[in-house]
Amino acid sequence: MLIELLTKRYPGMRAWLTQRLSALVMAIYSVFAVARFLIVQPSHYEAWVDFFQPLWWRIATLLFWMSLCLHAWLGIRDVFKDYVPNPSVRDVLDKLLVVSLWVYLVWATWLLLA
Amino acid sequence: MKFSIYRFNPDVDKKPYMQDYDLQLEDSDLMLLDALLRIKELDDSLSLRKSCREGVCGSDSMNINGKNGLACITKLSDLEEPIVLRPMPGLPVIRDLVVDMTQFFENYNSVKPYLVNNDPPPETERLQSPEDRAKLDGLYECILCGACTTSCPSFWWNPDKFVGPAGLMQAYRFMVDSRDQALDERLENLEEPDRLYRCHNIMNCVEVCPKKLNPNAAIAKIKDLKFEQAREHKNKAKKHIEIKSV
Repeated sequence: MLIELLTKRYPGMRAWLTQRLSALVMAIYSVFAVARFLIVQPSHYEAWVDFFQPLWWRIATLLFWMSLCLHAWLGIRDVFKDYVPNPSVRDVLDKLLVVSLWVYLVWATWLLLA
Repeated sequence: MKFSIYRFNPDVDKKPYMQDYDLQLEDSDLMLLDALLRIKELDDSLSLRKSCREGVCGSDSMNINGKNGLACITKLSDLEEPIVLRPMPGLPVIRDLVVDMTQFFENYNSVKPYLVNNDPPPETERLQSPEDRAKLDGLYECILCGACTTSCPSFWWNPDKFVGPAGLMQAYRFMVDSRDQALDERLENLEEPDRLYRCHNIMNCVEVCPKKLNPNAAIAKIKDLKFEQAREHKNKAKKHIEIKSV
């Protein structure tokens, strides 16, 4: 049913639900991240590298980044819609937002999986 | 009692200004509307709407000390001086405290605030069970004063797109009416991203409603109905596939 609501048939619900689901992913990851951080307590560069060594953790972190980018895109797009009345300026800002989020996502993917 | 009132007459004034009044109240002046009518006796150029003077018609909604409300049911003893009165925000000012509510009512009309029932009319009224009737409580009482909608920043920024709390609550009122047959169409009507989903649950609408209603809860329940609609579509699609495969 959730998948049905994420289809083009429900454009409003799709954006709304995506923002909630991405928040849920980030919340779950954050709990695990804090717990892992408290257990491992990485204190220097090598320890941080080890912290991100397990593949499952890197995939989870990537999932977190994807959710963060989606969440930020939907949220900031709404802020632009509210506070930037000029359509041309808003269009430019929307494009800048998408480009910068893609850059962050590709960068994060490269750091985690390269 | 001291008042500071927003004044603007487009025929005379280039821009709005605040006018101060110092009023000697009578013992019978208990509500803000009583004081406003007293001011109007002294200065008949002041414009405001009023009608029932008992919180039923919703005409005298205005911004009172920064919060929307009805002048006729706001006690003077509850207000801090100077009492600052402005027109409701987010709508064009016609004059002084009178705003143009066209956009508000256009949004209200857009949700089809009437029963849609294609069955032949019965000889008597369309009956409801007491349980079905109870579902309308907390919804039908809305007097369309506009206090909630004009407190909502989502309406301020997108008045032509976001329906607003009052309109959405009335949309839900007809969605849950057992006599209505247009639930799918009503949900479809709100699916455009900005019509319903611009609500960010900041609860201004709940805080200001003079009838103590909860438009925010109605908006959340519309989203619940969306989930139910999607579940039903999925079940229908499943049945369709089963029938085909048989």
